[in-house]
Amino acid sequence: MKILARRVAWVVYLTMCFSLLIVPVANAYIDAGSGSFVFQAVIAFGLASAVAVRSSWGRIRSFFRGRSHPE
Amino acid sequence: MSHRIAGSFRDPSGFVFREDGVVKRQVNPGFRSEFDALANSGLYDELVGAGLLVSHQVEREDADGTVVIVPRQVPFVSYPYEWSAGQLRAAALVTLRAQRAALERGMTLRDASAFNVQFVDGRPLLIDTLSFGPLEEGMPWVGYRQFCQHFLAPLALMTLVDVRLGQLSRHHLDGVPLDLASTLLPQRTRVVPSLAMHIHAHARSQRRYAHDPDAPTARAKGRFSMNAFRGLVDSLESAVAKLERDVPESTWVDYYDGDSYTDESFEHKSKLVAAFLADVEPAQVWDLGANTGHFSRIAASQGAQVVAFDVDASAVEAHYRALRGERSAILPLVMDLTNPSPGLGWEHTERESLTARGPVDLALALALVHHLAIGDNVPLRRVADWFAALASALVIEFVGKSDPKVRRLLATRDDVFDDYDVEGFEAAFAGRFDTLRREPVHGSERVLYLMRRR
Repeated sequence: MKILARRVAWVVYLTMCFSLLIVPVANAYIDAGSGSFVFQAVIAFGLASAVAVRSSWGRIRSFFRGRSHPE
Repeated sequence: MSHRIAGSFRDPSGFVFREDGVVKRQVNPGFRSEFDALANSGLYDELVGAGLLVSHQVEREDADGTVVIVPRQVPFVSYPYEWSAGQLRAAALVTLRAQRAALERGMTLRDASAFNVQFVDGRPLLIDTLSFGPLEEGMPWVGYRQFCQHFLAPLALMTLVDVRLGQLSRHHLDGVPLDLASTLLPQRTRVVPSLAMHIHAHARSQRRYAHDPDAPTARAKGRFSMNAFRGLVDSLESAVAKLERDVPESTWVDYYDGDSYTDESFEHKSKLVAAFLADVEPAQVWDLGANTGHFSRIAASQGAQVVAFDVDASAVEAHYRALRGERSAILPLVMDLTNPSPGLGWEHTERESLTARGPVDLALALALVHHLAIGDNVPLRRVADWFAALASALVIEFVGKSDPKVRRLLATRDDVFDDYDVEGFEAAFAGRFDTLRREPVHGSERVLYLMRRR
């Protein structure tokens, strides 16, 4: 299951990298702000997950550290 | 006598003005609640205590809600296109730290302009007190685009492509367009997760929705959780923190180690500069062609606020890093004196030219005149004219044709500089300055002058 999840993550990552290799056509934008706004909504889940994972990992680590080195 | 400072005219929340030589900020009645929230949330005290935001005193509160504050004065206003990569990076990190602190107190930065950061005592400081407003739950960061364009994109270009690309910010005052940055960055950055996301994919999203009246911006509202916001700031901070490289090699960084001086003449010149500065006791000094700042440090040690200009971004970076972490009265900046920062923006007044930011008490022009007169064909009389517009006193060095540095300049060009000798130099400057002291530098054929503008 873990291996499958890792493979899926790799495929998503490589697809993203590949799509970015195509150089976009330059434009003078009427409004660059909308794209920035929508883009944040697109990446929100990933950003929030990263924070959640970091904070859980910190809690786990401090739990075990607390157990192995009681004050 | 008061007048508005042009750089703040776009801001509906207030404006900056100068009254009797003191810079002040007016908070408009419509923005009063946001301004009060900054103090009431505890954010103002936290940011000022952490050295992230400029402190201020409230001077006046009117019945209609208008407030006038007097912020701590910034000795010299510099612009992002005059900063080295390290300075831009430090300014970016200060912006993100302030944003992180704001989030935890239910506030947010409403914009993330690099022009809102100034260097005071050698450290970057947010100067726009009115940039903070209450956080609207679920709203993405309105300053995200600006942060990427003002900080991340130029920093990535300066660090990963060429430090001279910092000059793109001089043309693009609202930051380097992300599609341009995406085109200029090396292909390998498309697989660096932080740059792939915040520059390349971000640029594609901008392009996709730039002309789309049905862009789903409404749907984006309400979907941005606090953890997403924290994650965004963490991710940007990690991207910025990684953008630091060794100071690139350059001829100028090692200039003092070359063949221009013997130890004896360099030491004598240092003593003469210190003595000349002590005669004038300037409060503000501009070191023109400062290199890595040996003479700037002499001026600062005598209590002057010093701006140290050099054309070479590597020399400025080396100078900044030598001062980093200490409280310093020296501000190193990148400046091509043959093409100095012009007046920019709306009506050429939003960002001031270098000359408009003067004059100062004293300018140092050491080992500089031969580069302007011979290297760049600027007649000595015109050099004197411009220096007279920059400073009321001048410590200036004349380097004759017999000097190895001048011989090198002349090696590849015809010597058409008939007036370039001590007599010609003194005659050119006599039109604008009185010579107060004139001392030959031991062990060289150089001459050092202390001059006062007429």
